[in-house]
Amino acid sequence: MSEFHLTEDQQDCLQELINIAMGQASDQLARYLDTFVYLKVPSIESVDAKGLIQTLSQQQNTMAVVSQGFFGYEGIRGEALLSYQEEDSGRIADLLGYEPDELSQDEQLMDISSILTTTFLNVFARQIDNQMSYNAPKLLPMVQNSLLDHLQQMTFNWDVALKININYQVTDYSFNCDMILLIPETAILNIKNVLDRILADL
Amino acid sequence: MSPSVLICDDSNMARKQVLRILPEQWKTSVQTASNGAEALTILRDNNIEVLFLDLTMPGIDGIGVLQGIQKLKLNCSVFVISADIQPAMQAKVKALGAKEFMRKPVNADILLNHLQQHGLL
Repeated sequence: MSEFHLTEDQQDCLQELINIAMGQASDQLARYLDTFVYLKVPSIESVDAKGLIQTLSQQQNTMAVVSQGFFGYEGIRGEALLSYQEEDSGRIADLLGYEPDELSQDEQLMDISSILTTTFLNVFARQIDNQMSYNAPKLLPMVQNSLLDHLQQMTFNWDVALKININYQVTDYSFNCDMILLIPETAILNIKNVLDRILADL
Repeated sequence: MSPSVLICDDSNMARKQVLRILPEQWKTSVQTASNGAEALTILRDNNIEVLFLDLTMPGIDGIGVLQGIQKLKLNCSVFVISADIQPAMQAKVKALGAKEFMRKPVNADILLNHLQQHGLL
């Protein structure tokens, strides 16, 4: 078992912290869109960076991706990727009730992404007595390899990452968005310490 | 006399968080379930008086458990403890017979207060 592997208790604890953050992000999204968001159990897995980048890049030509780096105290950091299927990103204007031309589709995607990412990560951070700062969000161009280039240019080096996948599904408009958090290996060790601290207090 | 209690949550940590709040004398009669199907089996075969119920779970979720309780016509006080805090969800669980909705992470004072309000403490 590698040092980056989470024990069963650590995984359970992290999942519960994520559930709470996801619930509040969904509530914000539901209020913003005046609709209901269906919550699913999030997935947490260890991934090999090379394999992951390949998989994501293959999917990317059909979706819009907004990427935003985050970092807190105690070496907790990572990258949040919000991905939207093309047919869904076209529906956002309807959901938001915007007139055509009022706000570009790109700006709408940035709006929704920022609500989800910051709500999720702020709630997550608060639960572990931490505080997040954010890099400027970036909408990746829908061209081959833009995600690949972006991930390779990230400021941290990583071979292994913790991948947290959360799906936000708006029930009445069949709108879908995936939030993928990538936590690089050094930050995994720091998160494991935080989880152990919480578990010891139980 | 302490009531028979069931805590249903897919998270072990969440189950522990509820358990540690309960009055000492209750703790001997607490059962746990880690999913909705398990909870429904325990509810059917035991006379559970108080259920603490999570909503987002794999398989049969909390809504499924509430529907099962109605179908089986069980007389059980259900307290939902969930991260899904959307007002529409809170209304839905109340409509399905839940006594109260509490947001996660569960707060000891709020939980004990609710038990008192419903004459369970």
